[in-house]
Amino acid sequence: MRVKAAVALLAAATLAFEILLVRALAIEHFHHVAYMAIGVAMLGVGASGALVATAGGVGPAAAKRWFPTVTLLAALTLIVTPALVDRVPLDLTQLAWNAKQWPRLGAVYVLLALPFALSALAILLAITLEGDRPGATYGASFLGSGLGALLAIGVLWIAAPTRALAIPALVGALAAAVAAWRAEVPVKRLAPAAATLALAALVVVRPVWRITPSPYKGLPQVAAYPDARRVAERTSPLGWVVAVDAPAFRHAPGLSLAYAEEFPEQIALFVDGEIAGAVTRWDTSGAHRAMAILEWLPTALPYSLGDRGRVLVLGAGGGMDVWTAVAHGARRVVAVELNTALTRVSAELAPLPTRATTGVDIEWIAGDARAIVARTRERFDVITLAPGGGHGATAGGVHALNEDFLHTTEAYEQYLRLLTPEGVLAVTRWVTVPPRGSVRTILTAGAALRRARPMAMQNGIVVARSWGTTTVLVKPSGFTIAELERLRAWASSRQLDLDWYPGAVAPEARFHIPDDPTLVRAARAAVTHPDSAHRFSAAYTFAVDPVGDERPYPHRFLRASSIAAMLDPGSTSLLPFAEWGYIALVATVVQSAILAAVLVLLPAALRRRVTRGRGGASLSLVAYFSAIGFGYMAAEIALIQHLTLLLGHPVYAVATALASILICSGVGSAWSDKLASRHARIAAVLLATALAIFAVVLLGLVHLLQPAPLVARAAAGIALLAPVSLLMGMPFPVGLRAFARDEHARLAWGWGVNGFASVLAVPLAALIAVETGSRVLLLTSAAAYLVAAASARRESGAGRPAPIEAHSSDPGNARAGDGDVVGPRPRRGGGAYDFFRRTTRSPSFTTALTSVLLLSKQMREILAMLGRYPTHVADSGKCRVAGGASSGPRSPIVLSGVHRHSR
Amino acid sequence: MVRGLGMAMAVGLLAGSAAAQRDAKSDDAIFRGRRLAMVEHHIAAEGIKDSATLHAMRIVPRHEFVPADFRDEAYENHPLPIGLGQTISQPYIVAYMTEVVRPRPGMRVLEVGTGSGYQAAVLAAAGAEVYTIEIFRQLADSAGARLRRLGYSNVVVRHGDGHDGWPDEAPFDAIVVTAAGSHIPPALTRQLRPKGRMIIPVGSVYGAQYLILVEKDAKGALRTRNLLPVAFVPMLSGLR
Repeated sequence: MRVKAAVALLAAATLAFEILLVRALAIEHFHHVAYMAIGVAMLGVGASGALVATAGGVGPAAAKRWFPTVTLLAALTLIVTPALVDRVPLDLTQLAWNAKQWPRLGAVYVLLALPFALSALAILLAITLEGDRPGATYGASFLGSGLGALLAIGVLWIAAPTRALAIPALVGALAAAVAAWRAEVPVKRLAPAAATLALAALVVVRPVWRITPSPYKGLPQVAAYPDARRVAERTSPLGWVVAVDAPAFRHAPGLSLAYAEEFPEQIALFVDGEIAGAVTRWDTSGAHRAMAILEWLPTALPYSLGDRGRVLVLGAGGGMDVWTAVAHGARRVVAVELNTALTRVSAELAPLPTRATTGVDIEWIAGDARAIVARTRERFDVITLAPGGGHGATAGGVHALNEDFLHTTEAYEQYLRLLTPEGVLAVTRWVTVPPRGSVRTILTAGAALRRARPMAMQNGIVVARSWGTTTVLVKPSGFTIAELERLRAWASSRQLDLDWYPGAVAPEARFHIPDDPTLVRAARAAVTHPDSAHRFSAAYTFAVDPVGDERPYPHRFLRASSIAAMLDPGSTSLLPFAEWGYIALVATVVQSAILAAVLVLLPAALRRRVTRGRGGASLSLVAYFSAIGFGYMAAEIALIQHLTLLLGHPVYAVATALASILICSGVGSAWSDKLASRHARIAAVLLATALAIFAVVLLGLVHLLQPAPLVARAAAGIALLAPVSLLMGMPFPVGLRAFARDEHARLAWGWGVNGFASVLAVPLAALIAVETGSRVLLLTSAAAYLVAAASARRESGAGRPAPIEAHSSDPGNARAGDGDVVGPRPRRGGGAYDFFRRTTRSPSFTTALTSVLLLSKQMREILAMLGRYPTHVADSGKCRVAGGASSGPRSPIVLSGVHRHSR
Repeated sequence: MVRGLGMAMAVGLLAGSAAAQRDAKSDDAIFRGRRLAMVEHHIAAEGIKDSATLHAMRIVPRHEFVPADFRDEAYENHPLPIGLGQTISQPYIVAYMTEVVRPRPGMRVLEVGTGSGYQAAVLAAAGAEVYTIEIFRQLADSAGARLRRLGYSNVVVRHGDGHDGWPDEAPFDAIVVTAAGSHIPPALTRQLRPKGRMIIPVGSVYGAQYLILVEKDAKGALRTRNLLPVAFVPMLSGLR
C-alpha cells in the first residue's frame, strides 16, 4: 500500500509538473516551442526503461533498495530542473543560424527529461517490487496522474505561473517521504525526504526561477514603453492575463485609413505575453463622441445595413465589439467570452459595457461560443466574430495547430440558423499575403450557406476588404438592392473595397489593390457550385478548403506535401510561409522518432537477455507495447477533442476527460491483476471494436447532445468514456505481468518501448488529427489495438501455444510461464540482427503494416515525407499559442495530453 | 632601469596601438568584402535593382549597427537581436523597403522605429534627409550616438511616440514604419506628402511575411497594396 501511495503521489506530481511546465514555457517562449521541448524531453520516460534494460534489469531486492532513493531524486529534479533551465541562455529565434544555441537546446532537453526519466524509473521499480500485481501498482500511477491533472488545473486558477510550477515538487517530496517511510527503519532515514519537502515549501514561497516572456512578445515591449505600468494580472488554466497601461499603446484592429480623429485611452491586454485586445476607457459623457472610432472599424460593416437590434458577439474579450454594437443602436447584446480572466481584468480597469453602464440589455456569458450557440433559443440580427489577437501571429502561422471549433462549416451553419429573417453573420479575419484565412472563411461561409439556405447562394454573400482585414457577411435571406447600396456607400466612405456582392461581375479594387483577385475568384467559386469551390481550393497554393468539426484546424494552411519544398536546404527564405506550429510538430515527431528508435534498439544491441526470453519474441514485445502505447494516446487525444466540443469549454473538457480516462484506466489496470493473461487479447479486440464504433458515431452523438445542460453533457461524456477507459487500462499491466517476476531486463525493455511509443504518439496523433481528422485518429487507435491483439498471442500466450521454431535448440525456453505463456524459442544467434530478421515473419508486423497501408492517403504522404526529410526540420521550432478570447484559436491547457505516463 | 622599463613599456604600447590600427584596417577590409558579397548574393541577385539602394547597401557598415557579439554575422542575410526585443532587420528586407520608397537626394523620409539606426543610415546613404523616431530611449540614444560617430549628418533621431509622427517636420516624401500594429496611424497618413509612399512590414520578427505599401496620389487619396518581396515569390511555386 505504501509503495502504491508513493507511486500515486509521484505520478500526480510529475503530471502536474508537465502541465505547468508547458504553461511556463509557453509564456517564456511560444506554445509551439514549449510543445516541442517537452515532447522531446518526455522521451525520458522511455529512456529509463531502455537504460535499465541495457544494464540487464533490476531485481526485486535492488528495486526495494532503490525505490525510495529514485523517488527522492525525482522529487528533487522537480525543483532543480526549472531552476537550471531558467539559467540556460537559450534564444530559440537564433536557432536557425547560431550554432551556439544547439548545445543549449540539447542541455534544455536533457534537463527537462530528467524528472520524467526518474519518475518513470521509480514506477518501474515499484512494479518490479510488487511483481505479482503490476496492475494494482500501475493503476495507482494512473490514479495519481488523473489527480495530478486536476491538481495542475486547480493550481492554475489560484497561483501565478512562477509559483504554480513549484507546487508539484511539494507533492513529489511527499511521495519521497511515503516511499522512505517504513516501520522498521529509523526516523533519520526520513531526513532527506523531509529536507526536500522543506526545500519545496521554501521554493513555493520564494521561487528560484523566473518566468519572463520572450522579449519578442508584445508584453515586454509594451511594458517598456515610456510611463507604462502593469495594472492588473490574473491567472487561469486558459492563460496568464496581464494588463499594461501605456500612453503609447493604441488598439484599433483594421482601422479605416480614412479615420482622422483622436484615439481613446486604452489599456493593453495580454494573454501569455501576447496581445489579446484592449480595454478602452470610453468617455461616454459627450454623446459617444469618443466612440466615433468604432464606426471606422471593419467590424462595424454589418451595422450599415440598418436596424440591428439584437446582436451576438462571439469572443467579446475586452468588450470592444460589444461597444461597437451599443454605439450602433443595439437594444440587446449577448457577449460570449471563454476566458473569464480576460473579462474580469477588463471589468477591473474600465466599465464593461453592461446594462448598468449603457442602458442597453447586455448579457455576458462565460463559456464556449459553440456550446452557447447550440443551446440558445434566441435569434439575432447580427452575429459577429472579430479577428482577435494581433496581425503578426496570424501571418506567422503560430495558430496552425490550434483546435478551433468556431470556424468550421458546422459552426457557421449553426450561426446562420440563429439569425432572424433579416439577420447577418459577420466574420472578420486578418489579411495574409498570399491570402489564406480569408479565402477559407469565404469558402466555409459558402458551404454553410449552401447547407442552411441553398436558395440564397447567389445573393447571400458579401466580401469586403481593407488594408489589413477581410470581412465576410452572410445573409441567408439575401441582400436587397437597397442594402447593397448602403453597404457600398459605407464601404466607400471607410475606404473598404467590396470584393464580392450579389450581382458582382468583376469588382474593381479602388483602395487596396491586390496582386491577384483571389477573393473574388474564391467567392465566385463558393457561390457557383460545390464542385467549383472544391476545384478552386484544390488548385490553390495553400490548403483553404472548409474544415469540419471532425478536423477543426481552420488556421492551418500548409499542405503536408509543401513541407518538402520548405525543407529544401536551398530555400531558407521559404521560412516566411512556414507555419511554425506545424513545422514544430513535424520536428517533434522526427526528433522523438530518431531518439526513440536509437534508445529502443540500444538494449537489444547490447543485451541478449533483452531479445530473448520465454515471454515471447522480441518483435512481438516491441509490437505489443508500442501498439498499446500509441493506441492509448491516440484514443485519448481523439476523445479529448470530442469532449471539448461536447462540453464547450477546454478546461471542463480536459478535466473531465483526464479524470475519467485516467481514473477509469487506473481501475481497469488494478482489476487486470485478476484476469488471465489471455484476456489481454480480448480486451484489445474489444477496445478496437469500441474505438471503431466511436469513429463512426461519436461526433454525431456530440452534436446531438450539444443543446443539453452542462451537467447532462458531462455525465454523458463520462458515461461514454468510462467503459472504454476501463479497457484501456488493462493491456499494459497484463503485458508486463509476463516478465514482472523474473525477466527484469525484458520488463524494463517493455516499459521503455511503451514509454517511447506513448510519447511519440502524442505529436504523431496530433499530426494524424490535423491531416485526416479525429475519425481517422480513432480508427488508427483501433488499428493499433488490433496490432496489440495480434502480438498478444505471443506476448501473453493467449490461445494455443505458438509453434516452436524448428531451429531452436534450447528446450528450456519452451516452458510454460505466467499462466499459459509459451513463446517461441529464440535463436542463440540473438541480438539486434535477430530481432530485425524476425520482423518480416511476425504476424503483428503484418497486421501493423496492413493497418498503416489501409490508412488514408494523407497518412502515407506524411510517412513518406518524414522518411525523406528526417533532419532538416530540427532547426525550426514552434507549435502552439494560447489564444485568450474565445474568438481566437483555443488554448488547450493540457495540450492534447502529453502525459508523463507510459501506457 | 626604471626609465628603461618605462621606455620599453611606451614602445610596447605604441607597437600595440599600431597593431590595433592595422587590425582595425584589416577588419574594415574583411567586413567590406563580406558586405559586397552580401549585396551581390542576397540583394542584387534577389531582384533589388535600384542603384541608389544598392549603393547605400554597399557602403553602410552593418557591422557597426549590430551588438559586438554578432559582428561576425553582420553580413549574413538574417535579422539579429539588438536588445529590448528589437532586431536589426534582415538585409534583404532593408534593401527591399528602401527600394520601395525610392530615397533620393533632397527627399525627406520619416522612419518610425529607429532601432539600431541601420535603416536610417541606408536611407541617408541613398541621399535622403531622414527623421527617425524611437520609442525606447535607450535605443534612441545609442542609435543617435552611433549615427553621429559614423558621420551621418543627414539623420535626425528623436525619442518619442511614432504614432503621432513628426508634425513639425511634416510633410514627408516617404515614411518607413518598422512593424505593423493593429492599425496604420492616421497621423502618418496625414503627414505623407501627395505622391508620397509609406511602407510597413507585417509579420513575425524572424521572417517578415509581407509588406503594406500606402501611396498617396496627387489629390491626397490613399491606396494600399500588399507586397510580397520578390525573393519570396519563386518559393510559392514550391508550395503548390
